Amino acid sequence: MNYPVWELAMGSGMLIAVVSVLHVFVSHFAVGGGLWLVVTEIKARRSGDTKLRQFVKDHSRFFMLLTLVFGAISGVGIWATIGLISPHGTSALIHAYLWGWAIEWVFFFVEIGAAMVYYYGWDRLDDRTHETVGWIYFIAAYMSLVVINGIITFMLTPGGWLENQDFWTGFFNPTYWPSLAIRTFAGLAIAGLMTLFFATRLPQDTFRRRLQRWNGGWAVVALIGVAASALWYGRSVGVWEQNEALSGAITVLPTVAALFKGGLIVLTILAVLVWLWPALTRRAPAVLLLVLALGTMGAGEWMREAGRKPYTIHGYLYSTGMLVEQEEWFADNGMAAGTRWLSPAGATDEVRRGRDLYVAWCQPCHTQGGYNGLQPYLAHWNRETVASLVPRLASMRALMPPWHGNAAENDALVTYLMTLKPEATAVWGTDGYGPAQAFAISCGLCHTPDGFRELTSSFAGMDPAEIDEFLDEAGDLVDEMPGYFGPPEQRALLVEYLAGLGASAEGSGS
Amino acid sequence: MNPCLLTAAAAIVPAADALPLPAPAVVLDILLQLTFLLHLLAMNALVGSLMITLYARLRGPADAGRWTDLADTLARVTPMLVAATVTLGVAPLLFLQTLMGQFFFTSSILMGWGWFSIVVVLIFAYYGTYLQSFRGPDLGRARTPLLAVTLLLFLWVGFMFANNTSLMAAVGSWAGKYFTDPRGLHLNLGDPTLAPRYLHAMIGAPAVAGLMLALWGTARSERGDASGAAMRQTGLGAFTFLTAVNFGFGLWYLLALPRPVLRTFMGNDVAATVLLTVGVAGAVAMVVLGALSLRPGSRLRLGTPVVVTLAVMAAMVAIRHLVRRAVLAESYRPDTFAVQPQNLNMMIFAVLLVAGLGVLVWMVRSLQKAWSA
Repeated sequence: MNYPVWELAMGSGMLIAVVSVLHVFVSHFAVGGGLWLVVTEIKARRSGDTKLRQFVKDHSRFFMLLTLVFGAISGVGIWATIGLISPHGTSALIHAYLWGWAIEWVFFFVEIGAAMVYYYGWDRLDDRTHETVGWIYFIAAYMSLVVINGIITFMLTPGGWLENQDFWTGFFNPTYWPSLAIRTFAGLAIAGLMTLFFATRLPQDTFRRRLQRWNGGWAVVALIGVAASALWYGRSVGVWEQNEALSGAITVLPTVAALFKGGLIVLTILAVLVWLWPALTRRAPAVLLLVLALGTMGAGEWMREAGRKPYTIHGYLYSTGMLVEQEEWFADNGMAAGTRWLSPAGATDEVRRGRDLYVAWCQPCHTQGGYNGLQPYLAHWNRETVASLVPRLASMRALMPPWHGNAAENDALVTYLMTLKPEATAVWGTDGYGPAQAFAISCGLCHTPDGFRELTSSFAGMDPAEIDEFLDEAGDLVDEMPGYFGPPEQRALLVEYLAGLGASAEGSGS
Repeated sequence: MNPCLLTAAAAIVPAADALPLPAPAVVLDILLQLTFLLHLLAMNALVGSLMITLYARLRGPADAGRWTDLADTLARVTPMLVAATVTLGVAPLLFLQTLMGQFFFTSSILMGWGWFSIVVVLIFAYYGTYLQSFRGPDLGRARTPLLAVTLLLFLWVGFMFANNTSLMAAVGSWAGKYFTDPRGLHLNLGDPTLAPRYLHAMIGAPAVAGLMLALWGTARSERGDASGAAMRQTGLGAFTFLTAVNFGFGLWYLLALPRPVLRTFMGNDVAATVLLTVGVAGAVAMVVLGALSLRPGSRLRLGTPVVVTLAVMAAMVAIRHLVRRAVLAESYRPDTFAVQPQNLNMMIFAVLLVAGLGVLVWMVRSLQKAWSA
């Protein structure tokens, strides 16, 4: 850990999520909307439709104000934010892809210049020149996506780059093309949905219905394209199959995947309805479609981000800033020797030393009580539990980066973590603190009932007394498995839960 | 592999990235200085224009025609200047992070919220310029106060940049700051160079923008537009007066530098001393040329002041670079970085850059032609 870690109570993940989801939505609109503008302008000219031309002109002002200001600045904002939150990752991306970013910058300034000339050129430039500028805008915006897509997909599936560190090997990586297809269609879909919304300010007449059918058509075709490319993408990731990410190895991924799929299906159905009955597109439904699209897109980006665990660049750089090639060194020398930002006070104060290690190695992903907070777990754990978990973090199903603390470092970390333990608020056996919760804070940290490292079949045929006895021996089974040290009332609920799993296995077996 | 390669002297400075540089450090350094100079020109045009517009709006009521015309003219172009400033700012930031990320990322983290604030502030400031451009007359009495707020927002962004680029070199202050409070609430206010370097840049902005305004005014006069002469006078006035004032801030900055660094510019290093001499002599020439051009009936062409100003700005950028290298002499050693040149990719960039600039020029010219027709 080279860099200091910015202590953010809200969690660094939340900050990057807010900035990036909004930016990604607008930046895809900037691409798809660019094509919509020039194609619709040509359509208006060819059909002599002056109303349509006026609509395109009005829309281009909204388009410019949204994409050039919010879109461009929030894009720079993502860069500033990832530099604050993941300096190791940002630095690696800049080193590996400096010329990629520089090339993207060329397309960026052409795109910005073209957007301005396009807007200020209405009724001044002749039709042909104006349309040419529109095409230049779209090509520059799309090329910007073409470049950034290579770098973003490289982070999840660097492929052969891990062997040869070659720019183009990493760029055209296994998910490059399906991701480009998803993003292309996503941009077109958002363009359709945005113009559906923008057109709700027009009076309800035949022109508006005609226009909304055109816009709705963009959305429907593009959303079907997104769904098809998402299937292609899912098959290309590869690593998700290897590490069973979608069956629960990455805790959050199955839920986020369900949100993405559900959002896409609902969105497509609603878009088809709007396309069939354009008069339905009033302001509220149009806003609903946009919010749904934002949520679905957010879930898609979240899948890609969460699906990279425990890496920032898969197979090369862990999310804590440790390089994969450094792991052996850490295993031999411990964590503190490779932590640059250790406070002088930590030399004599164990709690402070534990805190320094926590800040350097846990805080890149965790907060105390907020996003990915530890306190909801610590509330139910005693020192023995924490001490048995800390050396086994990499074996847990959340796919955490490695921690190679030596005995003294583990002790210091545990001592500090115990200072974060909130006053006991839970009464086991009351609402919300039943068998499922008892499972979630113990066995559920590494196992799922039916998916990743499933337990259901393991407990088939065991009665509660046998399960209770098993819990005493759990820590002796394999090195990766921690012992169970929960209080009696929590233990009773856990036994009840595991016995229920066993019974369900028998039930389905008979 | 030891991830930290700890040495006692620079224990807290992060190690340079494990990946090699994709071009020799000297190439990246030249690109950094060159693109920074371009960014500086755009920033001066933007911040300076906003200051001159505010001045014109405040003068407006007394002399409605001249000042209102000037303010309206500038308000129309400021959104484009924001676009140029941001776009031209991206490139130097990219090269800076490639060469000096270990310093820049660290200082950004120490001032986390301040650095993050530029994203939000810039969005509001940018919309502020569009508000003045598209909706100016509709704003009524709120127009001038809103303009002042917009300017303040940009000044805030500049102040955060000044903090970050000075804090990145203030390695000695890092540990004290971070271990007292790691929540990203620090700035670099204790650094004696911060105030003069920021003020030197912000006073320089309306001076350079003044010269650009004078050029614009001259072009208008040549087209027979009566408003050109006043524009030229206003621009040259700002250019001459503020460049003279900026001597004081430049001197303050120089004297605030650590003594060993100052001595490199006072004879210890020939190149640094020559650069400073050229810069100061050039600035004197700027004031003299400005004053001569300001005389009633002066027909002095502005080509010379433009060339001298560009040369002085280039010298200032180089001096800034040398100061940073001198301050970080012990902890920044680009000659030790691994390099694995990606020549093909660099060529692709260069070709696309030329093509992109060509396309941009064609588009802007087409618009200009259509506009004047």
